[in-house]
Amino acid sequence: MMDWLSQNQILFDGTLSLLLLAISIQIPLRLGVISFGSIGYYAIGGYGTAILMTKHDVNTWVAILTASFAAAIVAGLLGLIIARLTGLYLAMATVAFSLLLSTIAVNGGELTGGAVGIFGIIGDVTTWHVAVIAVVVIVLVAFTERGRLARRFDAIREDPQLASALGIDVAGYRRLSFPISGFIGGLAGALAVNLKTAISPESVDFHLVVLALTVIIVGGQTSWIGALIGSVFFVWLPEVLGVVGDWEAVVYGFIVVTAAVLFPGGVVGVWNDWMHRRGRTSEREQFERLEAVSEGKGS
Amino acid sequence: MTQDVLNATTLASIYVLFALGMSLVWGTIGILNFAHGSIFMFSAFTAYLVTREADVGMLGVIVISMVSGAVISVAMQYLVFQPIMRRAKSQHAGELQLVIGGIGLSAIPISIAQRVTFSNPFGFPTGAFETQSYDIGGVRLTNVMIVILVCGLGLGIGTALWIKRSKHGLALRALGVDPEVSSLMGIDRSRLGLAAMAYSGALAGLAGALLTYYFSSITPESGDTLLLKAFAAIILGGVGSMFGVVLGSFILAFAEYAVLLYTDGNWVTAVSFGLLFLILLVRPQGILGKKEVRRT
Repeated sequence: MMDWLSQNQILFDGTLSLLLLAISIQIPLRLGVISFGSIGYYAIGGYGTAILMTKHDVNTWVAILTASFAAAIVAGLLGLIIARLTGLYLAMATVAFSLLLSTIAVNGGELTGGAVGIFGIIGDVTTWHVAVIAVVVIVLVAFTERGRLARRFDAIREDPQLASALGIDVAGYRRLSFPISGFIGGLAGALAVNLKTAISPESVDFHLVVLALTVIIVGGQTSWIGALIGSVFFVWLPEVLGVVGDWEAVVYGFIVVTAAVLFPGGVVGVWNDWMHRRGRTSEREQFERLEAVSEGKGS
Repeated sequence: MTQDVLNATTLASIYVLFALGMSLVWGTIGILNFAHGSIFMFSAFTAYLVTREADVGMLGVIVISMVSGAVISVAMQYLVFQPIMRRAKSQHAGELQLVIGGIGLSAIPISIAQRVTFSNPFGFPTGAFETQSYDIGGVRLTNVMIVILVCGLGLGIGTALWIKRSKHGLALRALGVDPEVSSLMGIDRSRLGLAAMAYSGALAGLAGALLTYYFSSITPESGDTLLLKAFAAIILGGVGSMFGVVLGSFILAFAEYAVLLYTDGNWVTAVSFGLLFLILLVRPQGILGKKEVRRT
């Protein structure tokens, strides 16, 4: 068991950081905001930690927390600036923000290590630490997926007009989602650089946007379970797809397109629909049985 | 100086050809096509595969590229975008799926092309077609540049006028304003949607072939870079406005060229993102766009 764990450590590391990143994108998405900003927060968290640790000899955890808070602050400001945009326009603004940051990373010279990036970020973060942090984040997120708060989120996402008519502060919730998403995204980046001991501009470019989004779509948009399923799926799939080899990307494309067309709710959505339908069938059976009993009495 | 203006204008014309179709489908049938870049690349790639087997000349290459662009684009619309729009509960729910569907689609042609070319740049053989350059008063002009300029400016202004004046243009614009009411007025949404996608794909194919001639080769990934620049050009000018695309492309190309001249080349990519971000903050509807009424 331990052998298997250590053999696949890189995959575990990858799954955990992708999971945190996916949750960071999910938070605004659950409020109906398509934001690609998380890649930028990830870059801030990653580069911030790398610079603090390698250039200023800051303690690992202090560096991680500082960089994550920096990402949260930047995200909060971004949220304020782009508050008046909606839908795809907001999405494009966040794409521009994230890619602007990756261009700055390429051109940062000494500070960011240019196109090569920063190497040798050795701290005392282990996979277990990251796993514990991921569990804590998941527990906190899970609290927002139950009860009153969850219903408010659903209302804001599905029908913002109705939500504001009910007295829910739609704009306020949406604004608040930015720094939270920023902190988690920054944390994902900060932990990832510690696990990988390196960061380069290529690791924070448009491909990461695409990967994180597909994770959420295939897993499910509205629940942390979806993010978990998606992350596991897309990190481990290349291993399983060893047979397909070079056609891996083609298979990826087909999976994503199929999910987008046929299963917009992702794996979680399919499961919920199925449970819902099963629930209905068992109710109907119960009803039929009752009917049969009452008919039996009547005759 | 004249040379610089000419080069920047050529760059702008390429952006126009690429972004025109994207803006058309986004502004009218509401599809932000993330796979436009891969249509652009794959149609040039199809033409490249044909030229490996047979000599078809420059015109042949362009025709093959445009036809395959239109075919791929229509197939995407028919198989992916239309079903997503039909199944979506609301316009808003559909938006994200369209983006994801497009991203997924774009991965397929790119990886096929990468596999065949081993991620190397590809170009058309120079057998039947010679790039000639002319020297007019110290300004260097090639025949490829002339074709690009004529196509870019001609099609840009032509499409803009067509959308503004013709009956089909009116129908398309009506779809952009209110799809449901316009289909009540007798506009066939799905047929017009397919036609718009075909036109957009053909333009992408044309841009692909011309850009490959201009740079003498392109890589399988080159569509992605152009895609992001096209977003900037489209939003800058105003989504759905054809003159806006032309204007946005020119602003972007000249700004990029200026940055290229006065700094080292690395900051060029920042220009499009910076302009995109700036215009969204200052004037989200773009320079020529009309204000969209949305309450939430």
